[in-house]
Amino acid sequence: MVDIVFILSALLCLASAMTIVTRKNPVYAVIFMLPFFIGMAILFVLLSAPFMAAMQMMVYGGAILVVFLFVIMLINLRPEELQDDFNFTAYIVSALAGGFMGGLVLSFALKGISPGMASAFEHPLQAGEGQPAFGSIESLAQPLFQVHLVPFELVSILIVVALLGAVILAKKRV
Amino acid sequence: MNAWLTLLETPADGGQLAGLVGFKLASCIALSCAIFAIGAWGVLARRNILLMLISIELMLNAVMLAFVSFARMRAGVAAEYTAAAAKALAEGAPAEAIAGLQAKSAIWTTSGASGQIFGLFIIAVAAAEAAVGLAIVISYYRHRATVDTRDMTTMKF
Repeated sequence: MVDIVFILSALLCLASAMTIVTRKNPVYAVIFMLPFFIGMAILFVLLSAPFMAAMQMMVYGGAILVVFLFVIMLINLRPEELQDDFNFTAYIVSALAGGFMGGLVLSFALKGISPGMASAFEHPLQAGEGQPAFGSIESLAQPLFQVHLVPFELVSILIVVALLGAVILAKKRV
Repeated sequence: MNAWLTLLETPADGGQLAGLVGFKLASCIALSCAIFAIGAWGVLARRNILLMLISIELMLNAVMLAFVSFARMRAGVAAEYTAAAAKALAEGAPAEAIAGLQAKSAIWTTSGASGQIFGLFIIAVAAAEAAVGLAIVISYYRHRATVDTRDMTTMKF
């Protein structure tokens, strides 16, 4: 059952990722981001990360996707600007480069996964008495605010700076 | 070259690429690699800067999937230690041995949760990156009326 759900959501992710990078019109690419994010959220649920799945749908599916759509509507591309983008040599060379990158990482990943790691991945999770379930908000909050407090605060500074910078960059000159 | 051949050959235990079907650690990492490669291809091949930004989001998602997969692996190690501690308790093992197993379980649980927390950091950084990148796109479009990287030759030497 889990295998079937995994294979279906993996295929959904791969198919929509391929669709995203090959669309001529960016509006269709952004629309196909939604099934991609849904597939990733299903994978996160399978990987016992329900909070990550919720954040994926809220931040990616809710915020980033809408921002992309707004920008595409704002700059209002004319159809003739979207005509070609097809450059055979560049496509072949970049397909080789992308395939090489993926293959390199894949070979390292497969070599690096020992049987112990593979069996640990398939070990069922049961929370100890009084312990929150793995991947729940409680289990993430403890290390987030104790071990990773400084990076967490730095991320909040980063977001404030990024949003102020975005406003200043996109503002019309007065 | 030898590393590539050993991936593809089929020894008695079925080979490594043959074991990718189903919900396993290797298949999650393989899916992450495939999405990363698709995103890298998008950044390299496309000339529309909006699609390049979307492809970067794909690559960030692929890395997030790898983080969460390894976090699940670490939680599994923690569960193995918990089970070992319960078994030792049932067998009447010395108290310090049980405490050591429970401490190891707690360490692996924390490191597993850290993997998911890094995924949350990636989401935050991706949101910031999308905001700044799209602001630059808007600003550039206002000045030059193009989103095609072939026309962005102001700094070409």
